[in-house]
Amino acid sequence: MSYLRMESITKIYEKKGLLALDDVSLEVKENEFHAIIGENAAGKSTLMKILYGLEKPQAGRIFFKNREIKNYTPMDASRLGIGMVHQHFKLVPDFSIAENVVLGAEPVKGGIFFDKKKAIEEVQQCIDHYGFHLHAGDKVKHLTVGQMQQVEILKILYRKVDLLILDEPAVLLPEQEVHTFFSRLKELQEKEGKTLIFITHKLREIMQIASRITVMRKGKAIAVLDAKTTNEEELTKLMVGTPFLFYLKKEKIDPANVILELKDICLYDRTRKYCLLDNVSIKVHEGEIAGVTGLSGNGLAELEDVVAGIRPPTSGQILYNNTLLKKFDIAELRQGRLAYVPADRIKRGSSTRSSIHSNLIISRRHTFSSFGVFNMEHIDRFVTSLIKEYSITGHKNSPVATLSGGNIQKVILARELSVNPNFIIFCEPTWGLDVASSRFIYEEILKLRKKMVAILLISSDMDEIMNLCDSIVVLYRGKKVFAQKNSREITKTMIGEYMLGLKDDFNSENNQETKDSLP
Amino acid sequence: MNYSEFSLPLLHNAVDIMTPVLLAATGGLFTELTGVLNIALEGLMLIGAFFCIVFAIATGNLFLGILLGVTVSILVASLMGVITFKLKANIFITGLATNLFASGFTVFFSSQVFGTKGVLRFAGQPLLPRLDHGFLGSIPVFGEVFTGHNFFVYLSWILIFLAVFLIYRTPFGLRLRATGKNPEVICALGLKPMHYRFYGILISGFTCGLGGGFLSLRLNAFVPEITAGRGWIALVAIYLGNKTPVGILGAAFILGIAESISIYIQGIINIPADFVLAFPYIMTVIALIVYSIFKYYHSPENNKGEG
Repeated sequence: MSYLRMESITKIYEKKGLLALDDVSLEVKENEFHAIIGENAAGKSTLMKILYGLEKPQAGRIFFKNREIKNYTPMDASRLGIGMVHQHFKLVPDFSIAENVVLGAEPVKGGIFFDKKKAIEEVQQCIDHYGFHLHAGDKVKHLTVGQMQQVEILKILYRKVDLLILDEPAVLLPEQEVHTFFSRLKELQEKEGKTLIFITHKLREIMQIASRITVMRKGKAIAVLDAKTTNEEELTKLMVGTPFLFYLKKEKIDPANVILELKDICLYDRTRKYCLLDNVSIKVHEGEIAGVTGLSGNGLAELEDVVAGIRPPTSGQILYNNTLLKKFDIAELRQGRLAYVPADRIKRGSSTRSSIHSNLIISRRHTFSSFGVFNMEHIDRFVTSLIKEYSITGHKNSPVATLSGGNIQKVILARELSVNPNFIIFCEPTWGLDVASSRFIYEEILKLRKKMVAILLISSDMDEIMNLCDSIVVLYRGKKVFAQKNSREITKTMIGEYMLGLKDDFNSENNQETKDSLP
Repeated sequence: MNYSEFSLPLLHNAVDIMTPVLLAATGGLFTELTGVLNIALEGLMLIGAFFCIVFAIATGNLFLGILLGVTVSILVASLMGVITFKLKANIFITGLATNLFASGFTVFFSSQVFGTKGVLRFAGQPLLPRLDHGFLGSIPVFGEVFTGHNFFVYLSWILIFLAVFLIYRTPFGLRLRATGKNPEVICALGLKPMHYRFYGILISGFTCGLGGGFLSLRLNAFVPEITAGRGWIALVAIYLGNKTPVGILGAAFILGIAESISIYIQGIINIPADFVLAFPYIMTVIALIVYSIFKYYHSPENNKGEG
């Protein structure tokens, strides 16, 4: 019997209609450093959340230390010896390190009182034992990102777990701290006899320290490899899969005027501790589909926010139709024929409790009213024609929440395209959609291109980017690492290497030529 | 002129006046710390005021009256909690509903049972005893300000003391504060933020019931809208007190002094009575403005932005 065995785990998110895990099995040996890699939405995090008891699978069994475990909460999991470090910090900045660490498992004196002194003592002992350099009494808000990461790990070490799950814990770490962090994890395995399951995108580091690597793709575990016998190229290929061709008819168009230009955009997070976008410059021409891709947490979402005017950049310029935007007024831009299909179609793209009818007219409601009163006939005609044109299945008065993902996206698309845009931002336009709906969206995007609309496509779906875009930019840690015109020479594996940070065209000085010959 | 003759009774009165605000604010603090703005303090106090005196009359026993009255206010609070957290209603709407329900229901009940929509006065009801502290009362200044109050006053101090312990010295308090600061942390531990928010509402039901009981029992009568905005002032006290129990004690005392002054001024200076009655509320507004200015210049984020 193995140490941990997850058998045929299936997880369906019914609300989203998404098959997150499809009959996935995972085996981990005792005292192993097991890495899980995969593209975005491959199901890695979901699988780990199930193991930690945060999510319940629809089917499958879990065996831990020769015993089947089921129906357990994260509290039970830590009692069993399973701990998890999440992708994003789960810390209370105003609390001390000790308080953050013991939260949920507080030492108690006199039956009811929280023993602060003992908490600090025990946590300090734990810190010293594992060789961290922290003071248990310090407030978390004064720590660096790397130190916060250590607190997260202390949280599970304090609970004396022997199986540590780490969900992309290095994403937020500054590059120079990554190495130290990994060697510390290695020590946990070698000296403390812990077992680690590690989700990561950092292939180079993981190759050196992991024992085995499980590769996941689109909700399936597709390969388990020995870290010693594999290489980066093989892993990248397995992760991205074979290219999926759409056979879309793409006409040749010569890009004309620049519609949108981002110049040296920088964005820092609220605490100004880390850089989310680092000097990103992008141009979008008329009749061009400019693609931006990257793995999650590398700046795609932030770029979306900046371009759509939701978050002002910390520094840098945005030029729209060659005029500099000082204050990004979204309403004004919308009048200037900007259209936006957001990645989050539920929260940002639509009002799910409102009807299809209302969602369709919301952005141009003024055009339907005279003297402040709606012309209902006019609206009805407009709505009915859009529903027909985009073949939206659903009655015009039914709330958007009752529709499938594909139909919600069609409603958003219908609304956004009805303003005759000359610039449109698409963010993850086919995320979680079935093939037919995706195809419909792609055809619409190409139609827009033919109409000489400038299109910015921000997507983590590589197939989408490679098949549709005229130019491709890859972001890694908020930095542009690749920017070229799309051509046959560009392969998925190649893009994959840039996404994973294995290559960077803009880093060293000897790459100056590439930088100058940018589109 | 001898200042102590004027100022000591004024302070003594302030200690008395601040008590219902302090009680409500103490409970409100618990909801506030879980990240929930409890606007129902006013309504919960009104429920407490009404039922404490009604049950005191019905049972002829002051203690039983308070116990039952406070129980009713906890029940109303728990109903509000269930609707908000179990049935996922908007806390602002349920809070508003609780306030409207309290003011409507107390009048309705009083007209149905006692046949009056106005002031409820009872003959021969038990009086709130004043506690004299023997030798403590003879200490100059201290004795004159802090002794000779009814037991609610001392209870409110004990509760503030207990609140300090509960909030800062127990695992419960730690989790309660974590819920308000970052509920995701609690979720990730497999605990439910909802539970702590519910406890917060229950505790505010308890202390608001006491605060209300103080108002009606001290007056020996129930007057419609007897709370007169004290629940709202309690909310202000929570913010002025920077969401700490000791801060709340200070804030309530300052607001108490303001009201106490307004009562004294009425007898001394000839200014319009309307203004005098509005004085505590004006003080509240001024205090809030001063507080927010203070907060603005002392918050690290603003300093960083300028630097």
